[in-house]
Amino acid sequence: MIIPVRCFTCGKVIGSAYEPFRNRVENGEEPAKVLDDLGITRYCCRRMLLTHVDLIEEIKPFS
Amino acid sequence: MQIDVLEIEDTRAKLLIYDADPFIVNALRRTLMSDIPKMAIEEVDFHLGPIGTTEGGRVADGSSPLFDEIIAHRLGLIPIPTDLKRFNRRDECDHEPEKSCPLCTITYTLHKVGPCTVYSGDLEPINGPEFRPRDELIPIVELSEGQAIYITANAVLGTGKEHAKWQVTSGVGYKYYPSVTIDDSKCTDCRRCIEICPENVFEEMDGKVVVKNPENCSLCNTCVDECPDSIKVEGDRTKFIFSFETDGSLSAEETLKYALQHLADRFEALRESVSELK
Ligand SMILES: [Zn+2]
Ligand SMILES: [Zn+2]
Repeated sequence: MIIPVRCFTCGKVIGSAYEPFRNRVENGEEPAKVLDDLGITRYCCRRMLLTHVDLIEEIKPFS
Repeated sequence: MQIDVLEIEDTRAKLLIYDADPFIVNALRRTLMSDIPKMAIEEVDFHLGPIGTTEGGRVADGSSPLFDEIIAHRLGLIPIPTDLKRFNRRDECDHEPEKSCPLCTITYTLHKVGPCTVYSGDLEPINGPEFRPRDELIPIVELSEGQAIYITANAVLGTGKEHAKWQVTSGVGYKYYPSVTIDDSKCTDCRRCIEICPENVFEEMDGKVVVKNPENCSLCNTCVDECPDSIKVEGDRTKFIFSFETDGSLSAEETLKYALQHLADRFEALRESVSELK
């Protein structure tokens, strides 16, 4: 749906990293390096961004 | 118990704790997770009906693609800058618990008309600009044409015990201080340990395998499985490497000081009530 605000497992705020992460990966950077750079070190938090499917666009027209 | 600070930044800390026992260090871990108060949004009022006009002159209704309760939950998880000296818990404040005042509550408004993305940085604090969320890029919801959001939200003090949104720290953990030794008389310098160690503890120096970063060791014993004769990995049960992060509502230093004081107070209360026993 929309990126969760926090990591489900440890509670670190990861929502704010999603847009920088997505933009940089779209520009050809390697996801692992971007995550390191954004300070997302634990694998619980990394999977939050790596496995996220942004479906909010699909439901946006409905309210 | 002695604590040395190995690294401390605004939102993360790494400590060396020695002359301690696991139960004391674990008590500190649990205190850091569940007993530190911080502000988090607890009440959200959604305004309905026409609350804005889009650029094309179309009236936007107070509605969004996500359910109101999901938005309220997402707002609750945003770290709110907290000044522990300035605020009371609402139930300990000088009025009935249903009421609120500036000593126990930070009020925010958020008003945005689609199409746009609503971010944590769009929250406008009424009490003063110092309460603006420091993490401004957390997406709350996306709005399309004709949708709008207008809310007022109240943040109050709470602790991680009550709800995870009041948990200041994340990734709180510790390990025994590792000691890694190589028996040179049995080591064949095959370099297998350098290859397999996931934490890069070993290194080659002048053709010999040496222990380079013993503190990195996570006591996983992968190297011992490979080379049981010459490598020995042990954890010191009185010495710990302790690390944690905060979500930015409090600094790592404030959090640690509060936790240690809180722990000391609780032990003191326990000591007093035990001494009253006959
Ligand atoms: Zn995590
Ligand atoms: Zn009050």
